[in-house]
Amino acid sequence: MTPVIETSGLTKRYRRVTALSDCTVSVPEGRISALVGPNGAGKTTLLRLLAGLAAPTAGRAAVLGAAPRQDPAYLAEIGFLAQEIPLYRRLTAQDHIGIGAHLNPRWNGESVRDRLAGLKIPLDRPAGTLSGGQRAQLALALTLAKRPRLLLLDEPLAALDPLARRDFLAALAEAAAGGDLTIVLSSHLIADIERVCDHLILLAGSRVQLCGDTETLLAEHRILAGPRKDTTAIARAHVIVREDTTARQTTLLVRLNGPVIDPAWAVEEPDLEEIVLGYMGQDEAGHGAGHGEARLSAVGEDR
Amino acid sequence: MIRFRVNGRSAVPPYQQIAQQVRQALRMGVLTVGDQLPSVREVVAATAVNPNTVLKAYRDLEREGLVEPRAGHGTFVRALPPGPPPGTHSRLGRALAAWVRQARAAGLEDEAIESLLRVTLQAPAEEDIA
Amino acid sequence: MTWVTWRQYRNQGALAAALLAALTVVLLITGLHAAQVWHSALAGCMKHNSCGNLSLSNTAFTTLVAATSAVPLLAGMFWGAPMVAHELETGTNQFAWTQSVTRRHWLAVRTGWLLLAAAVLAGAVSALVTWWMGPDHALNADAFKTNRFDITGIAPVGYAIFAMALGICAGMLLRRTVPALAVTLAGFAGIRELFALWLRLHYMTPVTVYYTLTAPFTPKGSYLAVSQGIVGPNGQPPVGTGNNYVFNGEPIPAVCQTAIQHPASIASCMAAHGYRGYLTYQPASRFWAFQGIETGIFVVLAAVLLGVTFWVLKRRDA
Repeated sequence: MTPVIETSGLTKRYRRVTALSDCTVSVPEGRISALVGPNGAGKTTLLRLLAGLAAPTAGRAAVLGAAPRQDPAYLAEIGFLAQEIPLYRRLTAQDHIGIGAHLNPRWNGESVRDRLAGLKIPLDRPAGTLSGGQRAQLALALTLAKRPRLLLLDEPLAALDPLARRDFLAALAEAAAGGDLTIVLSSHLIADIERVCDHLILLAGSRVQLCGDTETLLAEHRILAGPRKDTTAIARAHVIVREDTTARQTTLLVRLNGPVIDPAWAVEEPDLEEIVLGYMGQDEAGHGAGHGEARLSAVGEDR
Repeated sequence: MIRFRVNGRSAVPPYQQIAQQVRQALRMGVLTVGDQLPSVREVVAATAVNPNTVLKAYRDLEREGLVEPRAGHGTFVRALPPGPPPGTHSRLGRALAAWVRQARAAGLEDEAIESLLRVTLQAPAEEDIA
Repeated sequence: MTWVTWRQYRNQGALAAALLAALTVVLLITGLHAAQVWHSALAGCMKHNSCGNLSLSNTAFTTLVAATSAVPLLAGMFWGAPMVAHELETGTNQFAWTQSVTRRHWLAVRTGWLLLAAAVLAGAVSALVTWWMGPDHALNADAFKTNRFDITGIAPVGYAIFAMALGICAGMLLRRTVPALAVTLAGFAGIRELFALWLRLHYMTPVTVYYTLTAPFTPKGSYLAVSQGIVGPNGQPPVGTGNNYVFNGEPIPAVCQTAIQHPASIASCMAAHGYRGYLTYQPASRFWAFQGIETGIFVVLAAVLLGVTFWVLKRRDA
């Protein structure tokens, strides 16, 4: 089965800044993928490249099997929601539904009206007068009504209160329940989207640190804690992602290549947030704190 | 109809929480043989978890023989989990609630109560016989 | 996409229609009145053979009519400049360009309809003004003059199309509405000045006529003066003696200084010494040819600007 998204060495440079560097990721069909990383890591850039709003400086991206291009049939398959929730402030929700109906072949306007009615969002008020949460819900409904096969969302939760966040994520998950929608949503907080996502891409320092199904990532990583000691044996058998040493204790985040035999280590299963933080703790060259060899680019490919 | 609650902060993975809640509902008599489980879409809309999480939970329950999918109609309860009838659970649940009230009145914190419970569960079985 | 353009510009279209209607009403009323005055005055002076002394007074509305030269510029500033710039500024292009239409189609349809609207608006205003200035043109024969030429005929249509293209292109390049507005204003004013004051004079080789100073020559109809003056037998303008006396704008040569006491005789004195007057001009018969040429040039300029706009659209990130 071809992945819905497949990039290879994707790079985007502006005049003075490299926004994205040598980015190789893969997202299988039907996944709800979390694109996480600190602010400025390149998440928005990656999403814009995938949506065809920007062109790469180097490398390739294949979205739904082909490089993003200006073709109505192709554009119809991809939905994109920018972080600023760009709606026409003076036009009403009804107007936006009309625009969608005239510009998209597979438009489902009823779904927008139903969803807005359920959330008690008025159809006839200018979008600029709606609250941040209402605008986000309207924008999401409009993007879903397009019936795309791939949905790219840039920090959609940023402007939402906790209740609105829940509603939004529930709506997303419901849309994906059909099975023929793949979603990539970015956030700089993993805790927000952990339960709705089954795939993860971690960007830090404009590079990919992690990419894979969350189930696999959770199965592959362990936290090892024990009295302060030499870690060479562990480093030989597995990959040390992050090492924290105090005077008395050593704690390691490790990617396993087999079982941990040494009984001196207490082995625990980290949650997704701990794994992500462990990889984010690396500096730009990909070296773990105090340790040399943990550079990873396409970890956790599920093939 | 059963209402699922998924606790994001729990150490138990969401799919296990859902499966556990179904089993508990069966033990308590909230669900019985022939009842329909909520659709994946309904669960997802209510709990904001990934659809695959629900599918996994339902598949596990199917493997245990507790539920069965009926093509085009949904997932239905097929059998009750082994153990005493639902009434026993309710009776024991009420007794437990009374004991917890006693413990709290005696000054035990919830953490101490949980500790006590864990230790008791782990103790060898013959000590239970009065 | 046509519907979308309509929906986004509905209100501005209504405003423009309302302003046009108001202008129509004002010009119709005052124009009909002026025509009536003109025709009765004409009938009256013919009886007494005094038509040489007719004059019209309509100053307030003449200012309004002269102000219609701003119509193309306003279209370019308020319809053209924000067309792309506003979307880029507010980010709504990220919504528009992730629907199922290509960017090219989006821009082409919007541009097409708005250009048409601007052209129609400018054409309607120009038709009104041309009609309104009937008596003035008949009396003063100055249709070809700068500032008259620019608000009548088909030239305003060309200006409107150019202003729109300039605004759209500036918006595309600068990505912000206010700078695009400023560039449209400055660019339009600059180019128009360049053409009106200089280039227009030379679309075709002008005609030069030499005439005797005692029988001044005025071409028939409304002509466009390019240059005029006096030349002596050596082909040079007269050289004065340093005082401030002039004849027809030229210094009076030394040999005719004595004639200054009797100004009426300056002309015959200079004529007797071989001085002639000359007028270089574009004859009235070329009025419509020039209208066509100027409109054509502005349309070509607009096409170039739009070509640049589409090229940038294709090459640049959203």
